[in-house]
Amino acid sequence: MNLFRSEEHARNWSDFAEDMAPSLLPISEWADIFANPFFRQRGREDYISWTRSAEGAAAFGELRARLPRRTET
Amino acid sequence: MSDEADLKLLDQGYHTIMRRVVETGRAPHYTDLASELGLELGAAKALIHDLVAVTPGWTHPGTDYLASFPPFNLQPTQYHVTIDGEQNWFAQCGFEAMAVRWLVPGKHVEINAPCLCCGEPIFVSMCDDVIESIQPEEAVGYSPSEVGGDAASRPFR
Repeated sequence: MNLFRSEEHARNWSDFAEDMAPSLLPISEWADIFANPFFRQRGREDYISWTRSAEGAAAFGELRARLPRRTET
Repeated sequence: MSDEADLKLLDQGYHTIMRRVVETGRAPHYTDLASELGLELGAAKALIHDLVAVTPGWTHPGTDYLASFPPFNLQPTQYHVTIDGEQNWFAQCGFEAMAVRWLVPGKHVEINAPCLCCGEPIFVSMCDDVIESIQPEEAVGYSPSEVGGDAASRPFR
């Protein structure tokens, strides 16, 4: 879960794995993914309870749907 | 202790630790947590481990020391976080760095990190919902593994 100066730099990284190429996204897109309520709500006093609420579960479902997955090789 | 009481304690522990990390860049030791929450030492130590079990954080292996409490990391990483001009924090990873802003509403957050390929700098600044600058503009994020681990066992729950 690292940042690179460009896609070319990421692909030249020694740990680059082609099957996770779907995670190669502009920083702005990762910033949007990490704007999910799951992250926005971390400052609340009842955060752990919130994660187990219907609202928290819905946020988590939305987050999971957006996270890139490993492709079949 | 009832499930409701357990959950309330998790809430209190999480909020206390997060507040301390935001304010100081450091996490409390479980003895500090015990004092702050009025817990016995063993209960506070258990609370640390219970919290990392239900969040994407972790303790240093074989210890009770919090090492990561996302979006922050308590051990230095390459993701330097500056909040309103003060560089006192590290992000757990490049992606979690993007989530620091939600804990400091209205403040300017800057991320400075070297590219792992060339060592040259990457810079991101943001405030709440606004991404103010990404340098270089073509910078990307990439993970060689699925974020949060395998879908079946992700610690987001």
